[in-house]
Amino acid sequence: MPPDSAAPATPAPPRRRARLFDREAPLGYALVLPAALYLALFIAYPFGMSIFLSLSDAQAGNQKWSFIGTGNYSKIQSYDLLANDFVIGRFPSDASARAFLAARAGFKVETSPAPGGGSRATLAAAGRSIPLLDMAKEDDASFAGSTILQDTDWTVRPAGGQSEVVAHAKESPITLGTFETRAAVDLAAKKLLVPATTRVDIHGTGVLQDPNFLLALKNTFKYTFGTEILKLLIGVPCALLLNRKFGGRRLLRGLVVIPWVIPIAISAQAWLWILDSTYSVINWCLVHWGFLTPQNIINFRGDKDLAMLSVIVVNVWRGFPFTTIIILAGLTAIPDEILERAKLEGANGFQRFVHIISPMVRPILMVSLLFSVIFSFTDFNTIWIITKGGPFDQTQVLATYAYQLGVNAGYIGKGAAISLFMFPIMAVMVFFMLQFLRREA
Amino acid sequence: MAEVVLERVEKRFGDVLAVAGIDLTIRDKEFVILVGPSGCGKTTTLRMIAGLEEISGGDIRISGRSVTHLPPRDRDIAMVFQSYALYPHMTVARNMSFSLRLRGMPKEQIRERVKDVAQILGLSEHLDRKPRQLSGGQRQRVAVGAALCRQAGVLLFDEPLSNLDAKLRVHMRTELKRLHQSVQSTMVYVTHDQVEAMTMGDRIVIMNAGVICQVGTPLEVYYRPVSRFVAGFIGSPPMNFFEGELVADESGLAIALPGDMRLALPRPELASRAGRKVSFGIRPEHISVAQSGRPLSDVAWAAVSDPARVPAVIEVVEPLGHRVVVTARGEAGTFQMETEIHAGVRPGDRVDLWFDMNRAYLFDGETEATL
Repeated sequence: MPPDSAAPATPAPPRRRARLFDREAPLGYALVLPAALYLALFIAYPFGMSIFLSLSDAQAGNQKWSFIGTGNYSKIQSYDLLANDFVIGRFPSDASARAFLAARAGFKVETSPAPGGGSRATLAAAGRSIPLLDMAKEDDASFAGSTILQDTDWTVRPAGGQSEVVAHAKESPITLGTFETRAAVDLAAKKLLVPATTRVDIHGTGVLQDPNFLLALKNTFKYTFGTEILKLLIGVPCALLLNRKFGGRRLLRGLVVIPWVIPIAISAQAWLWILDSTYSVINWCLVHWGFLTPQNIINFRGDKDLAMLSVIVVNVWRGFPFTTIIILAGLTAIPDEILERAKLEGANGFQRFVHIISPMVRPILMVSLLFSVIFSFTDFNTIWIITKGGPFDQTQVLATYAYQLGVNAGYIGKGAAISLFMFPIMAVMVFFMLQFLRREA
Repeated sequence: MAEVVLERVEKRFGDVLAVAGIDLTIRDKEFVILVGPSGCGKTTTLRMIAGLEEISGGDIRISGRSVTHLPPRDRDIAMVFQSYALYPHMTVARNMSFSLRLRGMPKEQIRERVKDVAQILGLSEHLDRKPRQLSGGQRQRVAVGAALCRQAGVLLFDEPLSNLDAKLRVHMRTELKRLHQSVQSTMVYVTHDQVEAMTMGDRIVIMNAGVICQVGTPLEVYYRPVSRFVAGFIGSPPMNFFEGELVADESGLAIALPGDMRLALPRPELASRAGRKVSFGIRPEHISVAQSGRPLSDVAWAAVSDPARVPAVIEVVEPLGHRVVVTARGEAGTFQMETEIHAGVRPGDRVDLWFDMNRAYLFDGETEATL
């Protein structure tokens, strides 16, 4: 008989509740639960919701909406074929080209049936017959040919030892037609019979066809890389400086993080004043010291280049303490003996920085860069407070444009689509940075 | 020729005098150990030779040239640090060749030298590894290798073995000693471990509180310590000390210890000092169990004449193998002895012990100098 069943006075097993509290796993789950709920409620739900909305034509104040697939991302309606700088003819010498040009008044555009069907516009010029282009309709061919002949400036330019006569449209390229498919526009481009620079403009209702979106995308990259490069250029020397031993070092280390800990809504107000078009303190000083006159003060937020520079400066001012502190942490983690050994082995300050300090700080620098890039790429506050994306969308970034289009203008679906564009771009950037970090480690 | 001369070298940290004007000449190709308790100034001295600490006073000369105001890289020295100070992002080969690359030595020559040094240290297999892929002992050898690659006249070691486990430390002790014989550089080695000092050095410099107490060969400092400090520092287990008084009576000179103990002292030349306070010192290996007659099996005791008989109670017995360290309590106090395992003592035994008075030391009660 087994011994335990033989003993009738086996102690009763401890109560289930007591055992539950003794185990560690349930406690762990309990502690993680709020975070998991938070993630689900405030991250996963809005993320899923924005994917959902980006596939709809939902508009603010409009209760009816329907799924439109990827229409918010990309929906092409037409292709415009534009061309300019038509090469009318090539001549062996400058003189012969000029002689041809001089006879321009007598030139005519004639139409005839084209070999492949449709109609061909031909330039009858000084005894020569120059085919210009083929088009489906005779009217269109005639009109386009006449435009090239009459509404352009003709000049002579050297070309590889010869001279060519070029027709250049001053204001904008000449539109040669609007087409519904890519194939049609490509075919039309082939039917242009004189050499010219051509361009295809795509029109549509998706954000990819929105020139403002493309501008915002470009601005986002400008803004991100501009701030990150400046943050490194300022943060690294700052960290090196704060890593030296001097009186008041601890105080200065504390002071340097102030821009980072002040709420952006407050510090940006100060910057607004500093960069104000009328009351800018910088302008006041420059005028006061005689560098500027009140008539030509700098318009920080109104000039397109200065506006971008201004928001970059504000973001750098706010963000460089983070870079500094992280790099400082990396610097302090380098053992003194390693630097002493380098000194002993003959490395001067610069060599120690290049061969020892930077490689040892690089991994932590990448971590700081990773965070910093994420902050800058998704930054909304700085730009919204300083320029609201202006002037003329020159500081419009994805975050502000998504807000303007999605909330202010009410195109919720498009706004969602724009904000979702940030996700794959960020994912790719983060992937490469993590890849780099892994290789270093 | 790489002779290192320290002349009245001084180091102050604010008000603290860390090194108080020491004079020391380290001969060419000598292996000198700086040893002392922590805070005695030995590491500071080494770092001053290296040029990592500024000298507050005095002069340091290497190969006859004053280096006091030279930067470390111009001093013809190489150093092995306690933490090894390997560059974590460089391979072993690049770690070892860093100083050569900085000097712009041709690549071919660098490769040759690294290969040679790696051969000596048994690192040839690991040249392409990063330091973190190596064991502690291998890292230690890389640090030594980096110093050797310099082919500097003087090699400095700052407690290089203290981060190794006991077994590896003993092994590396031998390795470094062998290395010294083959590379023929002057070596200055700092340690707080007197066993390392005794086993490795040609000469030992014992420091305390910023001054040099004694310079000598291992046997000199062991047999003829100049002060109570040196006597207590060198030797393991350490020397036993008893405070007492020198007395002269009809049977000759003796030392009176607490508890009415009198040990006859075969040192008639000290008669003039009778009545003075002295410290009585005796090494554990010069105390033995007096059982029935003399312990003839213990060779060292065969020649001992007139040992003093001291009754004691055995408190702790620590076997080391063929020897045992025994802690005993007598009338005069607690002390340790080292004896053969065959002595067969057990805690609680009351036994008579023999003190070999011919090998006892006396130190002046005030100056602590050896008498």
